[in-house]
Amino acid sequence: MTPAAASRTPPSKNIAPVALGGKATAQRGMRMTLPRRSPTRFLVPAAMLALWETLSRLGLLDPQFVPGLADSLAAALDMTRRAFLLTHAMVSLARVALALGLALLAGVPLAFSLGHAWPGAFRFLEPLLRVLGQINPYCLFPVFVVVFGLGEAAKISVLAWVALWPIFFGTLAGLGDLDPVLARAARGMGAGKASVFLKVAIPAASPSIFAGARTGVQMAFFILIAAEMTGATAGLGWLVHNAGAMFQVPRIYGAGLVIVALGLGLNRFLVFLDRGLFFWRASGPGQDGLPRPGPLALALALAAALIVLAIGLIGMARAESLLNDPSVVPEYRVWTE
Amino acid sequence: MARHVSIPAFLVLWETLSRSGAIRAVFFPPFSQVMATLAELAVSGELWGHLSISLLRALSGFALAALAGLPLGFVLGGHSRSLFELLDLPMEILSQLNPFLLFHLVILVMGIGEAPKITMVAWTCLWPIAFGAMSGARGVNPELVRAGRAFGLSGVSILSRIRLPAAGRQIFQGLRLALGQSLFMLVAAEMMGASRGLGFLVLDSQETFQLRKMYAAVLAIAFLGLALDALFGLLSRLLVPLPPGQSANTAGD
Repeated sequence: MTPAAASRTPPSKNIAPVALGGKATAQRGMRMTLPRRSPTRFLVPAAMLALWETLSRLGLLDPQFVPGLADSLAAALDMTRRAFLLTHAMVSLARVALALGLALLAGVPLAFSLGHAWPGAFRFLEPLLRVLGQINPYCLFPVFVVVFGLGEAAKISVLAWVALWPIFFGTLAGLGDLDPVLARAARGMGAGKASVFLKVAIPAASPSIFAGARTGVQMAFFILIAAEMTGATAGLGWLVHNAGAMFQVPRIYGAGLVIVALGLGLNRFLVFLDRGLFFWRASGPGQDGLPRPGPLALALALAAALIVLAIGLIGMARAESLLNDPSVVPEYRVWTE
Repeated sequence: MARHVSIPAFLVLWETLSRSGAIRAVFFPPFSQVMATLAELAVSGELWGHLSISLLRALSGFALAALAGLPLGFVLGGHSRSLFELLDLPMEILSQLNPFLLFHLVILVMGIGEAPKITMVAWTCLWPIAFGAMSGARGVNPELVRAGRAFGLSGVSILSRIRLPAAGRQIFQGLRLALGQSLFMLVAAEMMGASRGLGFLVLDSQETFQLRKMYAAVLAIAFLGLALDALFGLLSRLLVPLPPGQSANTAGD
């Protein structure tokens, strides 16, 4: 089973109130979303970071293996100034976004045609699709490499494959949850088949599509780091891998901190969009009584995301020249494998 | 029965496309040849060595994660709301700590060996197990606990006779998810640095361009995953009865 299987299993009736719309919030298993505004929640992370730094200052951690927080951050800062760390981060994000786009383009129409138009075909294909969705993506990676070669295409298609299944099954679940009374009411008010589809079915399924996309993005980001470690010329995973290969321990930690922060930020960004976009939903993010982002905030966030993606795409195309840029100090340039 | 026609149909399609040359047999050898290679690997004994070491690594990582994750999740979910609020964010941060990152760190400390792989598996399994136990523990109907207390049950029997059975379904969902992921991560770990194991077999066959062997190893991993999942599904159905009026809706069996 893949991590996505959590979101594919329809939440049963007597669990749903507990998991607060389990399907929508299911990220990496079964997390719950509760209103969290209390500042005490920052206490433990802050204490952990402080403990890390203190132990390292006291000399209780071997700096050869575990450098202090300050040293790790300094390494990250150094990489930002001299080795395009931010560009690498944006390249990683752009890969995830490309994969997500491909997965959405394939998964949503497939789910709509199988779930909405030809349910008979779906009943026939379902076992096969479930098995395909459970194929281990790391096993697929060598297969894709054989087909596409060791380039961007292999990486992005593995990521797209990974993101495809939560999106596909999420869309199906959304269609399954569609209240038939709504469709009948719309038809009764004179809506044609096309407008029932456009104005009832698609909006009704969109929160589930988004939930699937969220799971897909998380999984893709996870696997991306691995894919970048095993053969890439740019990206955060590659930074970690090269730092590891050269025993530059603070750099591993620095890049690692950036990966963790980026993963958290990505998740928060998606929750933010979820809260703003699907205000009508009965449960899930945005139904916890906290204020929802308005249209202006949403538009700004989307614009920022687009800018990051554009830079990432350019960085991806120029990965080679990025490495050999004269402004990159030789000590960082040796990273080329 | 008719429901399961699509899988054999897919295999037949694969076989015909590959044999007819519609897809390149160099890249996609026919299914029958892949199965024959798998059988050869099994007969020669090469498969079992890789399989057993992979299984051992996956299960030991899984067991470690269950040992840590079940109590962790249960304590976090079953007790005060404030403890949950305190530890929710740190758990979210830690669950973002990519196992591949961890792999590089554990290698630094413990060297290349079994430890990094098992740690990676355990780390990956920990989260679904802990979150499953947590949401299970949070979902226990407080009326039941209060009723138990009114009947004079001790804390231990409330745990063993009310809380655990009530949370059982979600605990097992988390465990099952984790079991699937254990194999998932293990294959990746074995690709990144190992000399034995199914993941190594896949990568090694790819690098030496023995594609039939590669597909055979991929199939072996898939079969192992399906078998583990089926066994676990059976186990959970024996141990955790379904609540009344509900049919099994678990995927993959």
